[in-house]
Amino acid sequence: MNGKTSLNWKTRFWAVVKYELLWNIRKKKFLGMMVVAFTLATLSLVLPALLSNMTGQPLKQNPDYVIGTGAGIGGLGMFLFAVVVVMNSISGEFESGTIVPLLTKPVSRTMVFLGKLLAAFITLLSAYAVLFIYMTVGGTIVYGPQNNLHLLPLTLLGTLLSTFVWIAIVLAIGTISKSSLIAALGTFGIFMALTISSPIISIFTDQAWVLNYIPGSGMTGYINGTNPQTPYTPGIAVATGTDNIAATLINYVLYPSSDVTFFKIGALRGQAQLVELYTEPLSTVLARSILVALAYIAIFVSVSWYAFKRAQILE
Amino acid sequence: MGLAIETTGLTKRYDSLTAVNKLNLKVEKNTIHGFLGPNGAGKTTTIKVLVGLLRPDEGTVKVLGHEVHGDMPDVRLKVGYMPELPKFPKHLRGWELLDIYGRMYGMTRQKRMEQIPKLLDMVGLKGREKDFVGKYSKGMQQRLGIAQALLNEPELVILDEPSLGLDPVGMVEVRELIKEIAKEGRTVFLSSHLLFEVEQICSHVTIIHKGESLISDTLHNVSSKLSGPATVQVELAKTSETVIEAVRQLPFVSNIIQDDNMLTIELKTRDDVRAQISQEITKAGGVIVSMNLKGQTLEEVFMQLITKPQGGTAE
Repeated sequence: MNGKTSLNWKTRFWAVVKYELLWNIRKKKFLGMMVVAFTLATLSLVLPALLSNMTGQPLKQNPDYVIGTGAGIGGLGMFLFAVVVVMNSISGEFESGTIVPLLTKPVSRTMVFLGKLLAAFITLLSAYAVLFIYMTVGGTIVYGPQNNLHLLPLTLLGTLLSTFVWIAIVLAIGTISKSSLIAALGTFGIFMALTISSPIISIFTDQAWVLNYIPGSGMTGYINGTNPQTPYTPGIAVATGTDNIAATLINYVLYPSSDVTFFKIGALRGQAQLVELYTEPLSTVLARSILVALAYIAIFVSVSWYAFKRAQILE
Repeated sequence: MGLAIETTGLTKRYDSLTAVNKLNLKVEKNTIHGFLGPNGAGKTTTIKVLVGLLRPDEGTVKVLGHEVHGDMPDVRLKVGYMPELPKFPKHLRGWELLDIYGRMYGMTRQKRMEQIPKLLDMVGLKGREKDFVGKYSKGMQQRLGIAQALLNEPELVILDEPSLGLDPVGMVEVRELIKEIAKEGRTVFLSSHLLFEVEQICSHVTIIHKGESLISDTLHNVSSKLSGPATVQVELAKTSETVIEAVRQLPFVSNIIQDDNMLTIELKTRDDVRAQISQEITKAGGVIVSMNLKGQTLEEVFMQLITKPQGGTAE
């Protein structure tokens, strides 16, 4: 071995992370996604102020705007960020043939895989952090001083965890199919199927608990004191799915010992009514959401890793 | 002398197609070993097994004394590999790519700073190192491929069709470069379907066809074994017994066939002995009208081998 080389695995691992990070931040798709995210964030801040000016009604101060919106990255935003960051992270290497020089360097496939995952994490963390800062500054300007800003890191953590469920799914489909297109379309299909079916299951069936265990927006309940007839007035909505961990985390910090009641729409004396399904502690909702998210991440990441490790490079 | 590469009974199948069939390959250290065969002969598949991109179905593979089975990054520390028509990530600049690959080899910053400009200069990419790889022509990517294969000052350099995609000047430069690499004491294993390329630079050659090794030896021995003795044809102004007898006495002459004034002199050697023959004829009073050395080229040997009927390979 050459005397001037070092076998330090950290050097080699960070080389993989750098390789991937440079790819992530130079992807046109990612840059486009950031432009869209900033445009939407700006619109969500500016439009109410414009409307207020046009109607002559003063804009109401909202000290919970920033923490309430979780910087505005909803389920769709997380899904799209996941897709643009990792849809071609492994499959793209196969498609372009760049996998060949990469895997013939003295870095193990596990190291390459973990390096790509860490790069995705850093990319998302940076993108979300910038968006959070932008929304915090903008929210403060438009809606006045904000409460509970110290909880923003927790929101960031929850949003990242939720996004990583989608990351793991995109990565698994991409690694198995070795096709970026199938990765993107396959995940989009799953996302759409869950988005459409979740409210139907949640509202109309007694089996809504199933939604607690599948990725996506889950089922929605209301914190203590909710009046089933007018649930939106007194209640604070809590969603159980893997997409809502950030909001549930904040609610848990703010209302640690509260219970959540879930409903479905049923017929009572010939009229559509909200029918109570069950009540459980918020801590259970949060713990289950986190565990389900971690389980999905573990399963899909393991599948991707195994497929990548075993892949024969025919390209 | 030790072996840089040794395969025993190496077999690799793609479904029903046997790409490599019980290949026994021995590449001595400090040689330039040509790996010849027509398109689809199994050259690239063999190389991909050597560098760990494919798993063999049967047989053993040793690279620099280490048995290769699966993903073994430490073995690759001492191996430089240039794939056939290499593809590199378009989002990286030429210099960045070499720097990241250098880090993957565990090279120190100082070593990278020394080695990268030297290699860029050597392969003729000086001045284009800050361009994105996506802007490189096919020939430039080929040159970058050679540079990255030499980055770690490897003991063994594996080049898969290094001249493919290069213009004639580039091809000559690459051949000179390969000779230089070998002079530094490295082993070069070179796959090619260009016979003249192998003939010009290789000391050893293995000819593979339909996944089977047809012959493997020094270039000189391969030519000798298959082509029979070299001959010199001499046309004389006038034939005499004195001249024939004088030539017959030369130690490297095995037989002389006379046809009027034309002598076909069969040699025991493949060296160019026309000067000695000419001297002897002149001394014996003969007048030479013309003289030609006839020996089989590698191309003739190659054609002779691959047109022989083959058996045993499933396709």
